[in-house]
Amino acid sequence: MTFTQNATAEAPPHKSAGRLTGQDRVTSRRRFPLRELGPVATLGVLILVFSATSGQFLSAGNLEVILESSAIPVVLVVGLSFILIQGSIDLSIEGVMAASSMLVSLLIANSVTGFDLGWWAILAGAFLGSAFGLVNGLVYTMLRLPSLIVTLATWFVGLGIATLLFPGRQPQILDERLTRLALDKSFGVSALVFLALALAVLGWLVQTYTQFGRISYAIGRDEKTTKQSGRHVRLHKILAFALMGLISGVGGVMISAQLAVGNPAAGEGFLFPAVSAAVIGGTLLSGGTGGVLHSIIGVFILEVLRNGMIQLGVDPYLRHVAEGLTIIGALVVGNWSLRARLRIVK
Amino acid sequence: MTPVLAASNIGKAYPGVRALHDVSLELRPNEVLGLIGQNGSGKSTLLKVLSGMEQPSTGSLSLRGQEAVIWSPLAAARLGIGLVHQEQSLIPNLTVAENIFFDKPSPHRRFGIYNWRGLNREAARQLAKLECDIAPDTRVDALSFSDRQMVEFAKVLAIEELVDQPLVILFDEPTSLLSPSEVDDLFRQIRRLRARASIVFVSHRMEEVLEISDRVHVMVNGENVAERTRDTTNHEELYHLMVGSRRSDDYYQESGREPVGASSPRLVVRGLSAPGRFREVSLSARPGEIVAVTGVAGSGAEAFCRAIFGAEDGVGGSVSVAGEELAASALPDAAIRAGVGYVPAERKLEGVIVGRTVLENIVLTFGPQMGRAGLINRRKETAHALSWINRLRVKTPSPVEYVERLSGGNQQKVSLAKWLMSDRLQVLILDHPTRGLDPGAKADLFGVMRELARQGLTIVFVSETLEETLGMADTVIVMRDGEVSARFEDLCLHKPRPEEIVEAMV
Amino acid sequence: MSKDQTETPAGQGSAQTASVRRIEIARKLKSIAVPAIALAGLFSTIAWVQPKLLSLRALAALATDATPLLMLVMGSAVVILLGGIDLSVATMASFAAVAFVILNPTMGEMAFVAVIMLAGLVGALQGYVHHRAQIPSFVVSFGSLGMLYGVTHFISNATAAPLSQPSAIISFFGGRTAGLPNGVIVVIVSAAVLGILFRFTRLGREIFAVGASERAALLSGVKTLRVKVFAFAISAVCASLAGLLLLGQTGYSSPAMANNYLLPAIVGVVVGGTAISGGIGGIACALVGGLIAGLVRIGTVIVGLNPAYQNIVFGVVIVIAVAVTIDREKIGIIK
Repeated sequence: MTFTQNATAEAPPHKSAGRLTGQDRVTSRRRFPLRELGPVATLGVLILVFSATSGQFLSAGNLEVILESSAIPVVLVVGLSFILIQGSIDLSIEGVMAASSMLVSLLIANSVTGFDLGWWAILAGAFLGSAFGLVNGLVYTMLRLPSLIVTLATWFVGLGIATLLFPGRQPQILDERLTRLALDKSFGVSALVFLALALAVLGWLVQTYTQFGRISYAIGRDEKTTKQSGRHVRLHKILAFALMGLISGVGGVMISAQLAVGNPAAGEGFLFPAVSAAVIGGTLLSGGTGGVLHSIIGVFILEVLRNGMIQLGVDPYLRHVAEGLTIIGALVVGNWSLRARLRIVK
Repeated sequence: MTPVLAASNIGKAYPGVRALHDVSLELRPNEVLGLIGQNGSGKSTLLKVLSGMEQPSTGSLSLRGQEAVIWSPLAAARLGIGLVHQEQSLIPNLTVAENIFFDKPSPHRRFGIYNWRGLNREAARQLAKLECDIAPDTRVDALSFSDRQMVEFAKVLAIEELVDQPLVILFDEPTSLLSPSEVDDLFRQIRRLRARASIVFVSHRMEEVLEISDRVHVMVNGENVAERTRDTTNHEELYHLMVGSRRSDDYYQESGREPVGASSPRLVVRGLSAPGRFREVSLSARPGEIVAVTGVAGSGAEAFCRAIFGAEDGVGGSVSVAGEELAASALPDAAIRAGVGYVPAERKLEGVIVGRTVLENIVLTFGPQMGRAGLINRRKETAHALSWINRLRVKTPSPVEYVERLSGGNQQKVSLAKWLMSDRLQVLILDHPTRGLDPGAKADLFGVMRELARQGLTIVFVSETLEETLGMADTVIVMRDGEVSARFEDLCLHKPRPEEIVEAMV
Repeated sequence: MSKDQTETPAGQGSAQTASVRRIEIARKLKSIAVPAIALAGLFSTIAWVQPKLLSLRALAALATDATPLLMLVMGSAVVILLGGIDLSVATMASFAAVAFVILNPTMGEMAFVAVIMLAGLVGALQGYVHHRAQIPSFVVSFGSLGMLYGVTHFISNATAAPLSQPSAIISFFGGRTAGLPNGVIVVIVSAAVLGILFRFTRLGREIFAVGASERAALLSGVKTLRVKVFAFAISAVCASLAGLLLLGQTGYSSPAMANNYLLPAIVGVVVGGTAISGGIGGIACALVGGLIAGLVRIGTVIVGLNPAYQNIVFGVVIVIAVAVTIDREKIGIIK
């Protein structure tokens, strides 16, 4: 009989549905709520507006630019979606990317150290990422701390490790196998775009066809019942964070390929857009909603917005302002119907 | 004949509350056992113990003749015990099929990979047992309430595949939110099921229990007071058993009671409605009047009282206090300014600020009014608060003890003292004020309520038991399904029989 | 109803009041004891490694360095006491410094007032959006972090700029009075103001009530919207003061000058004993915690560690401190 703040405050909406509610009775088998269509419509409107205002926008060259710049964010949101679906948050993306990027650039053939591990270096980057994720998941679930705090800490630990690894001058990546991933184009786009596409498909499959994906939705919506039904909530949370770590590590490898140098600031500017994109696409922070595809739509909304603003000559720093406004605006709209006077949000 | 499930001398105590005391019952093969009792009589707690959601403090359970410990709902399912929840246990953002197999293994979900087609087919088969044609790939949040109940039902029935013995199915007030035709459907299912299962059916609706059950247990105050078979009992007897024997002493201090003097009403509520909770409820109460609002769970009585205070969403209608009109969308602070106080049922969550001291809780709302220029006058407010602590006889080691360390009754007094600090309190609303209190604390509280009413305060309360309602109230408003179903006035002059009130409740 | 109440005998009443006060003080001392011992231990360790720390000059330099951080910690503590978090404080400090440098040539000393008011307004807006739209505070402040970052870089052209025209207030912030860095005075005055706010005003008490149990506070008539708006405004004003202190110390502004302070600020709040779950802590806790965070920052340099270790140390410390202070029962399901 102990009531926790969350357990009772967030009563399921159907609880009050009584005998007298007429509207509750209306059964619709397949609903297409407006909220599901909103992000797609937004993307469509943005594309229409920018193609009307800028002749360059719809050119093949510009579309390729949009795809190239979307590659890393798409990969990141594939992992982040599972975290958000479970109702947690991972702020450590930038730190993990930085550490992974530094590690890869130092272990692969480069201008500073003598290592030349080739593909093994790339694996090491991904491995470092998963290790970070695993630590996040373990600390989060075992010590029972908010994921916000745990990942805020590992964000900076990652940055610290990246800085420690930095040898004083920037290591140039000499192994062309890595840099060519970003340079060689087929069908107009680089291998990184194909990698993003592959991971997106994989993410969708995991979300739809695996126990991990389905239980993530259950955890995000009703953790208590999930646990009572004998599901390993803790395991699935750790799994989600380990997966996110792996993805961040891969993100670090991808940015290294793009920059062709090792840079302790490599992750900078990825966290905020990734979280924004997921939320704008409908993968809300409250958990249990959205999914990989939703988040990817969100990425394209932000990338199109960014690209369109560049076409229009908007200052790059004002983009941050536009993005900040977009995420808060999207949240306000998405959240508005959930408001209740005794609902507690901290 | 060995009982399928037997509970012997079960006791369950929560800190400060004795929910069950020495309860024994036997569930025989293929029977429907009804369990009735008022709110808070321990029916739901007993079901929680039987289904593994709670562990008994004392006593033991045995299943098919063997002693059994049921550690969790999952363990219960493996033993063939399923609970159909009153508040449903489905996860709304998953599909029907996923929900049915959420808590059990399935051959269509191997190595963590789903075979959707197989899972849906299997779910459809489970639903077909109930002659129900809900599409298994529908998301649960797209279903109507009664469809969700069917899924809940199917989820429990699917346990059949896990065990080779007949099932035990526990129904926790399944009918309270269903329409009459849906109740008929449910009963049809239960009758079909009893061929292969034993059933415990909990309800506070007498007719339904009598209609469906072979035997009936009556619970009062966490105890099992009587057992009857359907053929040997009738409504009147069950009513009487449920309401219990009356106390002989003047527990409610009724001796000094006088009719409320004629004066202009202080609290006037006109046509208050909140979609899904209650509809067109009106009320008018004079200074010194005690109004009891009563009804079974889901009747809207609690929500109505909360709405007067501004703690409910989407409320329409009008509330005026001492002639001052309150906006329907007003927050509690507006009601408080007009002189309304509210003592919630959820003490720890809403009534007191856990983590702060007794003193701070008492001075939170009206303390600052004793200061000047926006600053707090600690001396003055502390003196006032201390005098209330003394007057209400709050038992606390020190006034700055953390409030959560007090017993429930004393927490209730702290919650009350907060409102009594006001020098212009007009109306006090109490939601289940005696919930979880021991008899002494209850008597204390009744004394305070009586005294406040004598001083001219208008009191509206949702009572825990019928006995309380009849003992304390000048006016009784009975609610059923969100509407007022009966009103009894001037109880001081002529008291209605308990049966009359119960009649209006169900 | 007060007219009916029986007054307690005066002697007994004041005796009870006195004992109340005694218990409250004892409780406060107890809550601050562990962080204070940690602070003393940390200080002696660093002084043992580097005895020069004990000179007056070194202490003054240490204090000066700690002042912006202390301001940030005090501001963040107000929001964390509510149970929320404000991730925008460090960026707000950078913004304040940049905005002052830009406004100063045209507005003179009034730029100080303008910057503080602007910060308060942005903070209040955050609190308003957070409460009205019921969006988690970390997201709202995260959003404003992004916006402030963009605005700050935009108005400064992403370059550092010296204070082009001398300003009395800023040079006061950077100066000393009788050997005492003025920054310390600013911190002490701010701490006193916040201390009075917490102890003697309705708002202060309501901040604790909302942090401890927002639902119960709302049902006790606390205007939670107002409380949150004020708390975020206070946090932003403290952050802007931190930025101006930094400006006074360095004499120039740069768009990311304070951005590194976010983690130390939060670390400072939680190592001082303020629970991330809200309702527990206070200004004394914030000051002690802020000093610990400041010492760690300086200490790593003094002891001769690579400054990169700072981030790692802070990361580990924050996890430990939150693990110790958090009230898990209150949060229920932890996300």
